[in-house]
Amino acid sequence: MNSAHTIRAIQDNIALVIKGKSHVIEMAVVCLLARGHLLLEDVPGVGKTTLAHSLARSLDCSFKRIQFTSDLLPSDIVGVSMFNRQKQGFEFIPGPIFANVVLADEINRTTPKTQSSLLEAMSEAQISVDNQTHPLEQPFMVIATQNPAEYHGTFPLPESQLDRFLMRLCIGYPALEEERKVLARPHSLHPAETLEAVLSAHEVLALQTRVDQVHMEESLTDYLLAIVHATRQSELLSLGVSTRGALGLSKAAKALAVVRGRDYCLPDDIKELAPIVLSHRVMLNRTHGMRTQSFEQAERMVLDIVETVPVPV
Amino acid sequence: MPFDQAFALSSVFLAATAFTGLVLAQSVPLWLALPTAIILTISLLHAGGIHFVRQAMARVTVSPTLWNVLLIGALAILLIDLTVVSRDLLPAGIHFLVMLLAIKLLTLQQRRDYRHLYGISLMAILASAALTTDAWYVPIFLLYMLAAVWTLLLYHLTQETGETPAAVTPASTAAGQPTFPSRITHHFFWLTNGIAVLTVALTLAIFFLIPRIGAGMLQKTSGEALRTTGFSDRVDLGTIGSVKQDPQIVMRVELPDQPAIEKDRLYLRGLAYDQYNGRSWSHSGTRRRSLSLVADGTFLARPAGSRPLGSRSGTIRQDILLETLDTAVLFAVPFAELVSGEFLTVQADAMGGLHLPFPPSSRIRYSVTSQVPQLVENERTASVLAYPDSIRSHYLQVPLESQHVAELAHRVIQQATTPFGQTLAIQQHLLDNYRYSLEGDTATLSHPLEEFLFTRKTGYCEHYATAMVVMLRTVGIPARLVTGFLATEWNEYGGYFTVRQRDAHAWVEVYFPQSGWVTMDPTPSVSAAVTTSRWESLSRLGESVRLQWDRLFVRYSAKDQLAVVHGVREGSDALRERVRRWVSSLSAPISQVFSRLTHVARTFQPGMLELVTGVIVVGLALFLLMLRDRIGLWATTHLPTAHPELAIVQLYTRMLRTVERHGVSKPPAATASEFARLVEQEWKAAGPMVADVTALYHQGRFGRNPLTPGELSRAAEQVGRLQSLPHAAR
Repeated sequence: MNSAHTIRAIQDNIALVIKGKSHVIEMAVVCLLARGHLLLEDVPGVGKTTLAHSLARSLDCSFKRIQFTSDLLPSDIVGVSMFNRQKQGFEFIPGPIFANVVLADEINRTTPKTQSSLLEAMSEAQISVDNQTHPLEQPFMVIATQNPAEYHGTFPLPESQLDRFLMRLCIGYPALEEERKVLARPHSLHPAETLEAVLSAHEVLALQTRVDQVHMEESLTDYLLAIVHATRQSELLSLGVSTRGALGLSKAAKALAVVRGRDYCLPDDIKELAPIVLSHRVMLNRTHGMRTQSFEQAERMVLDIVETVPVPV
Repeated sequence: MPFDQAFALSSVFLAATAFTGLVLAQSVPLWLALPTAIILTISLLHAGGIHFVRQAMARVTVSPTLWNVLLIGALAILLIDLTVVSRDLLPAGIHFLVMLLAIKLLTLQQRRDYRHLYGISLMAILASAALTTDAWYVPIFLLYMLAAVWTLLLYHLTQETGETPAAVTPASTAAGQPTFPSRITHHFFWLTNGIAVLTVALTLAIFFLIPRIGAGMLQKTSGEALRTTGFSDRVDLGTIGSVKQDPQIVMRVELPDQPAIEKDRLYLRGLAYDQYNGRSWSHSGTRRRSLSLVADGTFLARPAGSRPLGSRSGTIRQDILLETLDTAVLFAVPFAELVSGEFLTVQADAMGGLHLPFPPSSRIRYSVTSQVPQLVENERTASVLAYPDSIRSHYLQVPLESQHVAELAHRVIQQATTPFGQTLAIQQHLLDNYRYSLEGDTATLSHPLEEFLFTRKTGYCEHYATAMVVMLRTVGIPARLVTGFLATEWNEYGGYFTVRQRDAHAWVEVYFPQSGWVTMDPTPSVSAAVTTSRWESLSRLGESVRLQWDRLFVRYSAKDQLAVVHGVREGSDALRERVRRWVSSLSAPISQVFSRLTHVARTFQPGMLELVTGVIVVGLALFLLMLRDRIGLWATTHLPTAHPELAIVQLYTRMLRTVERHGVSKPPAATASEFARLVEQEWKAAGPMVADVTALYHQGRFGRNPLTPGELSRAAEQVGRLQSLPHAAR
């Protein structure tokens, strides 16, 4: 199947549910193709969960949803080893993490201990329980949501955990016209439930391989590194972008090139993705010591820094 | 009439006035004047909105390259003109200017072109001003000023309202400029003309007022003439003293022909006095004769037919700028031979003083040629001199009670044997035994001379000079007192003496039968100690600037103005005559140019070869320079390079340069697509080309494979189209 066509199809499919948010949808698809994990951060009720749900639904893959609460335990996520009397031994019972798409809803409501249980899964795509390593299914994508407006009883994600997410997206309120369409919809069913899968897991893997083959010209790598370097040099930031962040930006840029129908990257890809990919990895200087920082502030800082880096001609 | 049309019309009209100025200065040959006049007429008709002209012009479309070629042609003509035909910068420059004007008129599109046109017009009107002194220049200049006010106003208005002027060329007419609602209302029409007329009136007022202001209000605070003393028929002893502190400038004396003259002091003679009554000096003879006119404005100062006496050390010419004084005396280095100035008559008295009939009402400028008398050698040593009766009767008079003085004089000259020696002895006695001081008012004393000689022994120039004259007379040597100015302040920046009130001086003239009157000065030199501090030097610099201003602007006197006014009246006849002659010579110049060309061909020398080669090389270089963009484009796409993938980068940077020339530059942090969007906003016409080149650039620069030759040449073609786009109307 034509890759451009498939990518178009999945975006259109999600757009049936999420109205007027084509950019967010595109970025979510980019994240999927870049083998990244997505952090959706916004106020409740703007469609974070629906987006994750729709994305999962559009793929012919397994989907699990974990509602994160303060009493959730790591084993509730990764699974447990139980003694099997018949076999006279321990048997691993996989948790909900063993799915192609995992929705970690309200991830900041659970304890750091539980949050960190996701670490290995997200970076290594495997789970170690009782000295046994269990590879996860491919493709594997974690979509986490969190509500930035609420602080009571929450455990904001530590930097190390945030760094594992390729992107942080903010959905935002829909435009008036789009919101009217949402209201006009029949409510008998969750809209995401009506979606049909348009992409098989196999096709997703093929697209991800294609992303790896995207050509990134040498000067673009330099440009990307110049941006990353600028975040480390900037006086506005107390923490710059890590190497994992640079790697993520590179992968995301390649994925965006594929989504846009190219087999090579452009400076525009990097420039466009920089705020989305980098802003949750940096810490603002003036909020030093505070655990929270506003999404918009960080994004603006990164944008300002990008505007100081010359684009290669 | 809409603004844009009025703007184009007044702009072309401005150029037409300037061109007329040049033509009437007879500095434009016919082969150039005729086509330019035709182009001007067409431009005027076109700008004036004559329908069929517009239609006809709209059909003709010419590429910008042709204009560049024309420009280079004009440059080549300038070179040839400069070296072969006129061989002079001014005419060649004017020909070039007219060619530029014609070319500019044909390429009038953008605001920049209009600005160029104004610049050319200004240069043309200035050039014609330099070339002519005729009166017809005045109406042309007034027209030019009127047009200039109109044009600049409209230029500003169209700029403010963001309009593009209706271009005179077909390109923008074809593009269909939208019509703007802003039109020239009655109100605007009268306002603009009012401003223009006001400007002209103010200029004229200043033109007529400046000489008077210069002579009158600005020069004197009191509004009166400078008070001077010692230049009337009678001088009381002790009156000069009161002005010896006054730094007010009386005159400036330039010595144009004497670069090597001693610059330390210069005696400027005013009046001489022969009668002393013990308290004051006076003239005995009041009869004056009018000087005979030898040339226009030049008078012979010495009596006609008389020969200069004695040996002459040489002539000194002085140009004197005399401030308004309350005296009619003209000052000069003794003794004046020729006086020239704008005078109707100059009178001379019996003792060589020069007078005007009445004190001048404004500052005057005159020049004097003087012969400086020197003592003949044999009179220096002669022990007895025979004085003529006329001299003896006039210049040996002393006051009745001068026995004391006579005794002193005889005592002083005991050692001396010759009259000249006696004179020197008396001078030396005064110099040695008396102290110079400005203090002490002797004007009220009954015997000021005796008081000076025997009691106070201090005094100033008048006392010294009077003493010397009286002493000389008591021993039988004819002498007289002279008043005037002793100039000591040399302005090295302007090359002239500044003479102030405080330089007023009195000295002595001693008579020798063969040598005539010889200047002697018994007053000790006090002004020798002129301070030469930096501050003084600076003030002299300022002084010199003032004199230059005076010479260049203020000197333009009322008489000159009158001449201009008369000239305008008479000039109109001359103008008619000139136009008639000009028209009758229509056919002549073509054959003239032809004959000149054949002449050039006949006198072709080996040196010409280099010249022609030079012209061709310069022309070729300019041509290549002009086409460098095209050549570069061709080279990037057609020549094999080591890095074929860089070809598109070169094309892209070329495109950036081109767009930047139109005022849209790429910020360093902007990506190519962002820049393309910016161009789309800022310069719509270039949008599609830039977008196309940007897409190809993306593909070739960041893609996996270099562009194919076909794609490259498409990019080159787009860049070429971009380069030939008319300038962005912004």
